[in-house]
Amino acid sequence: MSDALHDPGTGTPGPPATPVLSATGLTVRFGGRPALADVSLDFPRGRIVALIGPSGSGKTTLLRALCRMNELIPAAVTTGSVRFEGAELYAPEVDPAEVRRRIGVVLRESALFPGSIFHNVAFGPRASGFAGDLHALAEEVLAAVGLWAEVGGDLDLPASALSAGQRRRLCIARTLAVRPRVLLLDEPASALDPVAAARIESLIHSLAGDVAVVVATSDLRLAARVSDVTAHLDRGELVECGPTGTVFTNPRSKRTEAYLTGRIP
Amino acid sequence: MTPLATRDLLGTACRLGAALTLTAAIALLGVLLVQALGVVDVGFLAGAPSRFASRAGVGPAIAGTLWLAVLTAALSFPVGIGAAVYFEEYAPRNRLAGLAGSALANMAGVPPVVFGVAGLALFVRGMGLGPTILAAGLTLAMLALPTVLVTSRTALREVPRGVRDAASALGATRWQVIRRQVLPAAGPGIVTGLTLALTRTVGAAAPLLVLGAPAFVTHAPRTPGDILTALPTQAFTWSTRTEADFAALAAGTAVTLLVLLLTVNLGALVLRRRLR
Repeated sequence: MSDALHDPGTGTPGPPATPVLSATGLTVRFGGRPALADVSLDFPRGRIVALIGPSGSGKTTLLRALCRMNELIPAAVTTGSVRFEGAELYAPEVDPAEVRRRIGVVLRESALFPGSIFHNVAFGPRASGFAGDLHALAEEVLAAVGLWAEVGGDLDLPASALSAGQRRRLCIARTLAVRPRVLLLDEPASALDPVAAARIESLIHSLAGDVAVVVATSDLRLAARVSDVTAHLDRGELVECGPTGTVFTNPRSKRTEAYLTGRIP
Repeated sequence: MTPLATRDLLGTACRLGAALTLTAAIALLGVLLVQALGVVDVGFLAGAPSRFASRAGVGPAIAGTLWLAVLTAALSFPVGIGAAVYFEEYAPRNRLAGLAGSALANMAGVPPVVFGVAGLALFVRGMGLGPTILAAGLTLAMLALPTVLVTSRTALREVPRGVRDAASALGATRWQVIRRQVLPAAGPGIVTGLTLALTRTVGAAAPLLVLGAPAFVTHAPRTPGDILTALPTQAFTWSTRTEADFAALAAGTAVTLLVLLLTVNLGALVLRRRLR
């Protein structure tokens, strides 16, 4: 655990007003026009934030910027600040691998690792030097996503034997196994049948509280049902951010209203 | 001619091509086996070369080729795979790295005899090793390296981006991602490339002849410092003799070499199964 990210206030949670994660003036370029332009956004502790906007609006880039995944793309240049529990994530002494253990992300095209369910769940904890009982941990996180009973407790089952919805939940489970404080989900319910999508949705509800959840989605109904706070992104800019009920029923911005009602500006 | 007729003609031509390829392979093996039939026995495999065809054997040559295979693998595999990991995972994506990578890749097309000439200057004379197993092992390792590099790079590149991203997202360091996910996923492909590099290299006679492999070695090499002898050069030596008996010995040597290479391929097959 690097000192730079060590939570100074462990055991004494800050006042509810302090966000767990806070982006200020965040700009990401992959050469040319910024994919994310000067975005400032707070992510409240234990709450669910939805990022909405059309494809290309910067939702994924923002998610990846929050956990320092963009720097795996050679052309990416990030400026601005992201603070986690008060510590600057982009400080030069901070190890990006350490950031990703605190802020877990389930990418849109999250590939399962070849091999068993256990192998998928154990990889993250092993990489961070987890010394406890990996089987107990696997059972716990698989139960949290509702997979433990579905696979009959068989950790040796190949991950490829799972259905699309189960795979999506296994991806969430293996991220939970690293015990992140913030969970970022990119299009968590896309391309799933309604039953599998509903399972993911209730899973997101059950996870919030222990962790702060950020959901990037182009599914407006999912965003409206699942989130406490909604942020609307368009062409890399933050257009509007507020309580989900307010944003959906009474948006301040004309652009948000146009997007929500399906009118192309 | 109607399009349908054209397709029929092309289909016939392809069938003919397949038949010719099969015939060529069968003819090649058949000729070798018929010639080698009366030659290959325990005495031949264990015995040493002799002036008398009836007493000659390939024992020292088998030992030499096994030594060369081990040396070539030990020297070229780690270096080649390491270089492949560097170029695929660590090297900056700039023109210089691209140029260096493709220059090394083109080395895979350089004829073996060229490596022999270089090895002669570098190892046999320059380092004063003489025509030894060690000098030949170093030369063959140089010959194998570009193939190891190119095939390993291809295998690494075929590991899906999603696997690397998912591993990084779970907080793994770059090295953990490579060691625990990328290399195992690329394993079967890398093994295929290693097999290709090894069999291609160990079967080559030209570089060994250029290094000065003696025609007549009666003692099996026990250390890499011993004098060079190997199956391909032994087959070459016997094939230069005019007597029919010695032609049969050359065929027997060639079949022995083929069986050894086949064993390497079978071993690789088993290893690939295990890695999947």
